[in-house]
Amino acid sequence: MPALKVSGLTFSYGPEPLIADLTFELRPGEFMCVLGPNGCGKSTLLRLLTGYLRSAAGSVRLGGEEAGAIEPARLARLAAYVASETATPYDFSVRDTVLLGRTARAGLWRGYSGADGEAADRALHETGITRLAGRSINTLSTGERQLAFIAQALAQEARLLLLDEPTSHLDLKYKAGIMDLLRRLAGRGLAVAAVLHEPALARLGCNKALLLRRGGAYAFGPASELITPAALAPVYGVPPDSPLLPK
Amino acid sequence: MGKISLLLGALAAACLFSLAAGPAGLAPDIIWNLRLPRTLAALAVGAGLGLAGAMFQGVLKNPLADPYILGTSAGATAAAVLCFLAGVERTSPVFFLAVFAGAFGATFLSYWLARLAGRLSDAALVLAGVAVSAFLSALVMLALTAARERSFSLFYFVLGGLYSAEPGVLAVSALIIAACGALAMARWRALDAMALGAEGAYHLGVSPERERALFFVFACAATSAAVALGGTIGFVGLMTPHIVRLLTGPSARSLLPAAALGGAALLTAADAAGRTLFSPAEIPAGVVMALAGAPFFMWLLWRGARGRA
Repeated sequence: MPALKVSGLTFSYGPEPLIADLTFELRPGEFMCVLGPNGCGKSTLLRLLTGYLRSAAGSVRLGGEEAGAIEPARLARLAAYVASETATPYDFSVRDTVLLGRTARAGLWRGYSGADGEAADRALHETGITRLAGRSINTLSTGERQLAFIAQALAQEARLLLLDEPTSHLDLKYKAGIMDLLRRLAGRGLAVAAVLHEPALARLGCNKALLLRRGGAYAFGPASELITPAALAPVYGVPPDSPLLPK
Repeated sequence: MGKISLLLGALAAACLFSLAAGPAGLAPDIIWNLRLPRTLAALAVGAGLGLAGAMFQGVLKNPLADPYILGTSAGATAAAVLCFLAGVERTSPVFFLAVFAGAFGATFLSYWLARLAGRLSDAALVLAGVAVSAFLSALVMLALTAARERSFSLFYFVLGGLYSAEPGVLAVSALIIAACGALAMARWRALDAMALGAEGAYHLGVSPERERALFFVFACAATSAAVALGGTIGFVGLMTPHIVRLLTGPSARSLLPAAALGGAALLTAADAAGRTLFSPAEIPAGVVMALAGAPFFMWLLWRGARGRA
C-alpha cells in the first residue's frame, strides 16, 4: 500500500487554480523531490497533504485513510512535517523539542514514557545531534536547528516524512548532509517528500520527482527522467543550457 | 528539587512578610482576623494571575501576553463594576459568570482585532489589547463618575486592592483558580506544542483551534476569579512566567505549577510591601505591581527589539 496517494487534487487561493487535478503516489522507500518556480504551490501542496489546508476537490490518502477525515493526533502518527522555519521565543532544549514529536502518542497528565525517551534519543542519534541534546534550540545554527526539527519529526515515527525546503539558508556541507540523511531514511523504509529550492540537490538521492508549474500543470515520474535540463528548463523558464540546471 | 524548594522558600518568606507587615505590629487578633485573610487573598489572586499569564504566553506563543495587557483584566473589572452598580451580590454565581463573560469577551476581542490586522504578531496583539483595555477603562471611569456615592470603594477595587476579602468570595475564587490550574496541567503537552505556533502544533497532533479555545477559557476563568477577589492587578501574569522560566525551563509541565507558586509569592510580597513602604499609608497592591511591572515590560520590549536586530 502506498504511504501517500493523491488523486485529482485541486486547490486555489483565488480564481486562478494553484494546483489542478494533481495525481501521484509515494511508496515506502521512495524519496521524492518537489520542484518548481516560486509561487507554484510547493509549500501549499505539503500543507494539503497533511490536511492543514483543505482542498477544493480530489483526495489525499495517508496509509489508506482520507487525510481530511483524520484527527490531528492520528494524523501526526501517519505523516510528519518539517516546516521551512519554526520559531519559538522560548528556550526549549533540543531534547525537549524532539520529545514534542511524541505529543500525539502520549495521554493526558503523564510524563514522557521510557519509549518516548528512547524514540527521542534514536532520532537525535540518527540526525547526528546527540551532542546538542542539552542546548537551547534558540542558540543553534540554522543547520543544527533544521536537524533538530527533522529529529522531532522522526520521533513521531510516522511512515511519511514531508519537508518544506529543508536545505534553504544552509551551506553546501549541511545541504549535502541533510540530503544524505533523507536518502538513508528512505533507505530504511520511510516515504520521504521534500520541497527543494535548487534542482541540482535532487541528484543527491531522490528517486522520484514532482515538477510543478505555475497554473497547475505538473509532471511526475522517476527522478532519472525528470531531473534533466530538457525537463527542468520549461518549468523554471530558463534556457536548457543554463548552468543553473543539473546536467 | 532545589528549584522547587527555592520557590517554596520565596512563597513562605512572602507569607511571613505579609502576616507581619503593617502598622499595628504583631498583635495576634490583627494577624488572625485581618492579615491572614488578606494574605490568603493575595496568594489566590497571585496564583490565578500567574497561571493565566503562563497559559496566554504559551498558547499565543507570545512572551508579551498577559491578562492585563490582553484586556482580560479590564473586561473582568468592567463587568464587576457594572455588577456592583446593578446591586448584584458579590458572592452570587451571576457575579462570577458576568465577570468571566467580561474577561472572555475582552480577550476574544483583542485576539480577533489582532488577527484582523493581519498576522497575529506579538506587537499586533499588544496594540489590540491596549485599545480594548483603554476603552473598557474609560467605561469604568464613566461608571465611577456616575455612581458618586459608592465610587470610593469602587475606586479602590479598580486600583487593585486586597482589603475586603470576604470569606465567601475568597473560597469561590480560590476554588475556580485551583480548578483552572488542574485543567491546564492536564493539557500541558498541548500548551508546549502551541509554543511552536499553531501550524507546528497541528503537525504534532494537536488541534490548535480547540486548544486555543480551551486555554482562553481556563485563563479567562482564572483571571476573572482573581479580579473578583482583588480588582485590577497588572503585570503579575506578565512577570511571573518570565521569572520562573529561569528556574524551570519553558515546558508547561513545570512552568504552570511554578507560575502559580511564583505569582502567589510575588503578589503577596507586593501587597505586604504596599502596606510597609509608606506606613501608615497603604499603597494598593495593583499600584505596587505597576511600579515594578511597567519597567519590566519595557525591558522585555527592549530585549525583543535587540533580539530582532
